Amino acid sequence: MRMSMIAWICGTLLIIALYTLGPIVFNAAAPAILGMPPLYFWFLLVPLLNPLIMGVVYLIDAREIELDDEVTK
Amino acid sequence: MNSSIELVIGFVALGVLAVTLIGVRTGRAASRSLEGWMVNDRQMGPFLTWFLLGTEIYTAFTFLGLAGFAFANGGAAYYNVATNDVGYALGFFILPAIGLIGRKFKHVTQSDFIAGRYNSPTLGILVAFCSAIIMIAYIDVNIEGLGAILNVLTEHRLNVLDAEIVGFFVLSFAVFFGGIRGNAWQSVIKDVLMFVSIAALFLIIPFKFFGGFGPMLGQMMTKIPANITLPGPHHKLGLMWLASTILLTGFGQWMWPQWFNVAYSARGSKTLKLQAVFMPFYQLVKVAVITIGFAAVLIFAGQKVVGNEVVMLLAQQVFPLWFLALFALAAVLSAIVPAGPIIMMSCTLLSHNVYAKLVPSSEPKTIFAISRGLVFVVTFLALLLAVVAHTLIALVLLAAYNFIAQLVPGILIGGLFWRRATRDGVIAGLVIGWALTVYFLLNGISAIDGMNSGFVALVANTIVFFLVSLITKPVRAEILDEFLAAAHGPRKQAASAGAAASPLPAE
Repeated sequence: MRMSMIAWICGTLLIIALYTLGPIVFNAAAPAILGMPPLYFWFLLVPLLNPLIMGVVYLIDAREIELDDEVTK
Repeated sequence: MNSSIELVIGFVALGVLAVTLIGVRTGRAASRSLEGWMVNDRQMGPFLTWFLLGTEIYTAFTFLGLAGFAFANGGAAYYNVATNDVGYALGFFILPAIGLIGRKFKHVTQSDFIAGRYNSPTLGILVAFCSAIIMIAYIDVNIEGLGAILNVLTEHRLNVLDAEIVGFFVLSFAVFFGGIRGNAWQSVIKDVLMFVSIAALFLIIPFKFFGGFGPMLGQMMTKIPANITLPGPHHKLGLMWLASTILLTGFGQWMWPQWFNVAYSARGSKTLKLQAVFMPFYQLVKVAVITIGFAAVLIFAGQKVVGNEVVMLLAQQVFPLWFLALFALAAVLSAIVPAGPIIMMSCTLLSHNVYAKLVPSSEPKTIFAISRGLVFVVTFLALLLAVVAHTLIALVLLAAYNFIAQLVPGILIGGLFWRRATRDGVIAGLVIGWALTVYFLLNGISAIDGMNSGFVALVANTIVFFLVSLITKPVRAEILDEFLAAAHGPRKQAASAGAAASPLPAE
């Protein structure tokens, strides 16, 4: 299996885990985290983390395409 | 009706007219063939693709329905923040693969894809017809939203049905002439207006009603803790419901035929992959909308308020007239513009994948004409559904997801990853999945052992899909090899040569 495929599967599973397992820990109205209810904080944080996760996947994929192109040439 | 209301409605009418004309003007040149009308000749770049995808997120559901759902059901509303993010992550590989296969085999709809994968025109027709019907429920979401907006704006004095008919005739004409490219440019205007409107409401509410964000969040934590967590104020939608709904809707997102269309209309894989990286930022707007819904619980405490209307009621309370007009325009566009790609896809499925397959002698010109003509029929059917089944917008959308997500095994698992999947397996799974979904819907069963009932139906569907596939005849290897190899695009390196069942989309 190619590295980019592995990265994509890992990235996707991580995002699913953040959204489905994270609330188990953060499902409470208090105490506040950075002034926010814990569950609210979590669902504000994860959409900010996702572009980073998918950004890494994108860079791995782009690097692999670059290497493929070099091989093809 | 007082003069201020008339001013707002007049402004909204002019705005809708202007946006419609822009859609018609920008899309006319690209709308002279079915491929141009539906997929912009596969030449849409990252900018327009971003907004076209955004159109599906920033619907009347986001603007009104999500806040209403948060208002009525509490923390369960967070599912919708996760739905699209899971979808984007999946789409990183899935969309480019679908796009590359579509490019090679000239697919313009999801049904073309499934008919090609299983070498079965019959399965294509079945899926096309059922998807087109399910999509009417999604169009209904936007009609319901439009009704709620106008109902509040006119203080319940305007005939909502008349307003809906006028609004959707406007939409029908815009879609009829503009096609997908016209709709993308309309989306740019709509998304900018919506972003400004939601941001304004999100920033003003805490200071006007609570004295700032800190005090507002503090009051939420102390006064309405059940409303901001799971299982919510009705103790029905817990963590299991959240997880199962995220999985159902996250995977189900790409089963909407209009999302396939985004894969086909994009210029290349890079365009689609970039969306997976940057689209999650859009989700922050949904958090803002949910916040407005939670705040409404405190603001309207003790009052009887309909969930779908809380956003418009708050806007009326906090904005000056001129901004209310702008806000109302954004809200109306949020109902009208997103329905465009959905209507187009529904029509194309019926003409291109049902009529043309049943009448093979049909000329492409005739099919294209039927597609465009059906715009009015499909919109009217959605209008009828809105009239007979009024409910919370979010509940309509969730019910629609329960149905469309049943396509996951056939399209996603079998379509791209599992070579052994068969046509009979897909049909058997769909029959079980849809039958269970109808049964749950008719009996008012929204959760089973805490899990979303649609997810339970999907599990049953998937099991049947696997079992029946294993005992029935698969598609011939040479057909399958050619189909799956297309997902690799022009990359010819040795590294991918042995991965026929794994789509590795390229630039």
